[in-house]
Amino acid sequence: MNRRRILAAAAGLVCLFLGGITAEAQQAMVKPTDWLAYKAKFLSPGGRIIDDGNGGISHSEGQGYGLLLAYLAGNAADFEQIWYFTRTELLIRDDGLAAWSWNPGATPHVTDINDATDGDLLIAYALAQAGKGWSRSDYTEAAAKIAGTLLDKAIVRSGGRTLLLPGVSGFSAADRSDGPVINPSYWVFEAFPVMNALVPSTKWQELFDDGHRLISQIQFGPQKLPADWVSLRRQPKLADGLPFEFGYNSLRIPLYLMRGGVDDKALLARLHAGMADASSSIRLYYLSSNSVKATLDDPGYRIINHIMACILDGSVLPATAKSFAPTLYFPSTLHLLGLAYVTEKHPECL
Amino acid sequence: MRRSFVVLSTTIIMMVSLVALKDRAVISERASNLLGVDAPKEIPQLMRMGRISGPDFHPFDRQASAPQQQPLLLSDATAPVGTASAAEVADEPPAKPSAEPAVVAQAAPPQQAASSQQPSVDESALRYFASRGDKARLQVEISRLRALYPTWTPPGDPLAVPQNQDKQLESMWQLYSEARYAEVRKAITARQAAEPGWQPPADLNDRLAVAEARTRLINASDLKQYETVVNVAAETPSLLTCSEVDVLWRVADAFGHTDRLQRAGDAYMYVMKNCDNPAERLATIQKASALLPYSVMQDLLSQEKPMPDGTREFESIRDELSRRFVAEANADPKLAIAPDYLAHLERLTETKGLASDALLLGWYNYGHKDLAAAEKWFAAARTKEDSAFASQGLALTLIARQAPQQAEDIMFKWRDASKEAGATYLAAAANLLAIEPPVILQVDVLQRIAAAVVKARDVPSAQQFGWYARGLHQPQTAVQWFETALAWKADDEPSAYGLAITRAQLNDRPGVAAIQRQWAGRSTRIADLRDTDPTQPPSRAVPMPSGLDANDTSATNGAPEVARRDLQEPVREARYLAAAPREATPITRVRGARANASIGCTSTIDPAMLSPSAALSRGWCLMGLKRPAEAAAAFEAALVSSAPRDRQDAAYGQSLAYLQLNLAGNAAVAAIKAPQSRERALSLQTAILAKRANAAFDEKRYRETILYLDQLKQIQPEQIGLMVLRGYAYLNLKRYSDSIRIFEAAASTGDRDALNALANARDAMAHPSPG
Repeated sequence: MNRRRILAAAAGLVCLFLGGITAEAQQAMVKPTDWLAYKAKFLSPGGRIIDDGNGGISHSEGQGYGLLLAYLAGNAADFEQIWYFTRTELLIRDDGLAAWSWNPGATPHVTDINDATDGDLLIAYALAQAGKGWSRSDYTEAAAKIAGTLLDKAIVRSGGRTLLLPGVSGFSAADRSDGPVINPSYWVFEAFPVMNALVPSTKWQELFDDGHRLISQIQFGPQKLPADWVSLRRQPKLADGLPFEFGYNSLRIPLYLMRGGVDDKALLARLHAGMADASSSIRLYYLSSNSVKATLDDPGYRIINHIMACILDGSVLPATAKSFAPTLYFPSTLHLLGLAYVTEKHPECL
Repeated sequence: MRRSFVVLSTTIIMMVSLVALKDRAVISERASNLLGVDAPKEIPQLMRMGRISGPDFHPFDRQASAPQQQPLLLSDATAPVGTASAAEVADEPPAKPSAEPAVVAQAAPPQQAASSQQPSVDESALRYFASRGDKARLQVEISRLRALYPTWTPPGDPLAVPQNQDKQLESMWQLYSEARYAEVRKAITARQAAEPGWQPPADLNDRLAVAEARTRLINASDLKQYETVVNVAAETPSLLTCSEVDVLWRVADAFGHTDRLQRAGDAYMYVMKNCDNPAERLATIQKASALLPYSVMQDLLSQEKPMPDGTREFESIRDELSRRFVAEANADPKLAIAPDYLAHLERLTETKGLASDALLLGWYNYGHKDLAAAEKWFAAARTKEDSAFASQGLALTLIARQAPQQAEDIMFKWRDASKEAGATYLAAAANLLAIEPPVILQVDVLQRIAAAVVKARDVPSAQQFGWYARGLHQPQTAVQWFETALAWKADDEPSAYGLAITRAQLNDRPGVAAIQRQWAGRSTRIADLRDTDPTQPPSRAVPMPSGLDANDTSATNGAPEVARRDLQEPVREARYLAAAPREATPITRVRGARANASIGCTSTIDPAMLSPSAALSRGWCLMGLKRPAEAAAAFEAALVSSAPRDRQDAAYGQSLAYLQLNLAGNAAVAAIKAPQSRERALSLQTAILAKRANAAFDEKRYRETILYLDQLKQIQPEQIGLMVLRGYAYLNLKRYSDSIRIFEAAASTGDRDALNALANARDAMAHPSPG
């Protein structure tokens, strides 16, 4: 048993240096020790990822991230554990998408049966990767089912663009007077080609391209930053009744752009200029007043700025970014995703 | 017109009230059931599952390796192991012929037994059962393994984990027994990564699949994701057994909520046919009755088993069921339920006396047209606990029994309870106003009806008031009501017609013309209205005491009331007192002109307390306010005046008051209480006779009508309108040639009414109606 693991790790190392990584030879982009630390804090025995920054609830986003990280850590057993919770507790909607919110203290535990498409997308993406990497046809089938439903119900055409609605109900032009409303940070760019392999459709590429274009166009305030919730009924503007900010949602946008292989240094430069302060902390903004909502200095947030800086001007990641210690669920997740990206694509930044 | 409103409102109220008593969901279910189609999905093994007890014992246990396993279920766990074969054979149910020897001699060994003399038998299930203290299944498992591996001896202490056993597997079973399924899955995957080709025992795999399916089904059911429930059940038929009655209920519920009531019925029927637990059976009936229609319920109830103590199995819920079925019959008048349930509910109501039960019976009888019974039950319900519902039921019954006055009285205090209650009240009131011959109503009753009509802005009732006022010879009031109705609904043609003919009666030619213009092309009968007496001299204005409207009753202008007798139009004129609505806002603009004059008599004073001259003023003031009864009383007080002129005024006023009250006899008496001027006397007499003629016609006393008309002719030449009245009297007496003669004379003036009348008469002569 142990020998096999060492062998796998060695193979991974070799592949790293060679730089050519294929999906078939799955190796640990997330270090096993990092994964161990992460799951010790955030993974329950029942398989749910605990969002300790949010009252200890679980959600489809967390399950998606957990599945993805388990896969990137090469840990099939933990993947299966997380998948068990996901499929028995969340993937129970009639349309086969995931209920987005689960509360241990509530009865029933699912407090909101609506889906959140970033969670659905992350779950399908991780399942697809794992299905391919570990030859698990049941994972692949499950992923394809979700992908197909997203295509049917959550991906729409509006104003000459292909859009991902944040949920199958409540955001479209028919459901809201200022609809369609989107959340730009739900564009998990890296997932789209994988979804296309599962359920081929031109919409995935359109989604990719239109998403990139949209994020380039949406610039609010002097910081020229995107917003968490945007109405696209006419010209992009802030959505009614939703927070008017560059917030916790949006800070993921550059990470997804980079991980997704969107090569647009100008866009990254603008985002970096808007959201990074001198110490590479992330600044969140209230967009109506352009005042700072919060300055986030957790290394898991800052790594996003560090990676951007490395891509833009070659500066190496500092030690705090390179070493991982779990803090809160959200920044810890982003930290590992960031590190995995750098490990895979920009080892020169390490 | 009035009738159709009444019928419509009654029907609406009844239906709405019936629905209000019933679970709407059930109705929509039943409605959709009528439209429903069998689900394309089958639950394949549902009906084939026999009686299987215990959550862990399912077909997969038996199928693991040898196809010819026997589901032996030893009741005596201490049977000596060595003599197993014979004893087991003896214990088998006769239906299953013993195949043990065949099994023992079976050539194909299961994979685990193939390797060695001492086969590596997977004893993990053994330990699992032992750890749960499940002796019965432990024995079964032992028997199974012994059948597979005849050389194998079962461990003396199954709980002791022997050497070289699969500790990992043991711990997986342990986790399974603790329902830590995610961790079992994780452990399995971890082991498969470490040992390529390792497979967990089929037992464990299958149990995990069932546990997982059960979790998903229950979660989906809690969150009302019914398609998921049905899909999971279809994929995991082993969940659909008597050991999982909760799952069966959830599946039935899911079917019920997705228009597959037939399937829901099947699921419940499975429980009733196969499962024994009494509490679960009872609960099944209760759940089913919330979902399934009466006919299907009878099928389920036919599965009732006799109890050991001789009682009936579902006795404890028979009350509930009776209520439920009667309620369903109330919602669906075409449904015929077994009389037993009605009888049961009646007994229940008599013993327990619940108002809600009495209400159910009231509605049942009302729906089945047994009005006497309905009235009895509604009254009982009200006695026990007066409520809007009970009063509504009683009111509707009373309306159907032609007692709208009582209905109005009952519903008055509940009129604001709900929309249906308000509508019931208005229906009672409208029916009351529409009665022929009209009912004497107290002033306060009329006022409260008027207030309710105004508050509800109810157009049909306002229109009804207009006709009512016309019948009471209160054309001004009628005009106000018709105008009110039109203010609320500008396109109400009957109100417009009523307004037009009343304005015509008041000689308001510009008013009539205005309506005719508005309704040109939209209403034939409005367009056809003509001013009836073009030859009549213009009205002479009698000197008016202050407070009296110049356009008041026919007494002032000398022209008798024009009777428009349209055989198609059942307009009847009532003979009783009407109180004008006082607080009606849209009416104030008309009344404003008199407002100044009316100041001083809006409060209630005993006229005997006033001086005669004050009483006289008060009398005229009250006449202006359309309170002729009180005015008559005031004039009576004024009759004792020392001034002859005041006495004459008072007598005259009282006469007018009585005319307004349509008490022509009293008017005649009043008129002679003090000598009148010749003019006044003549006009009074004319008015009195005209009223009498009209009244007689109303009451179908046609010979009397002609008598009065003859008397009237003595005083003055017969006007066209009266000629038409005479003609109709002849017509109703079937004196066709006489009526035609009169109508021809009248029609020669070109009068439209007369022309119509002539056409009617000719028609009637050509096609005489019987009786």
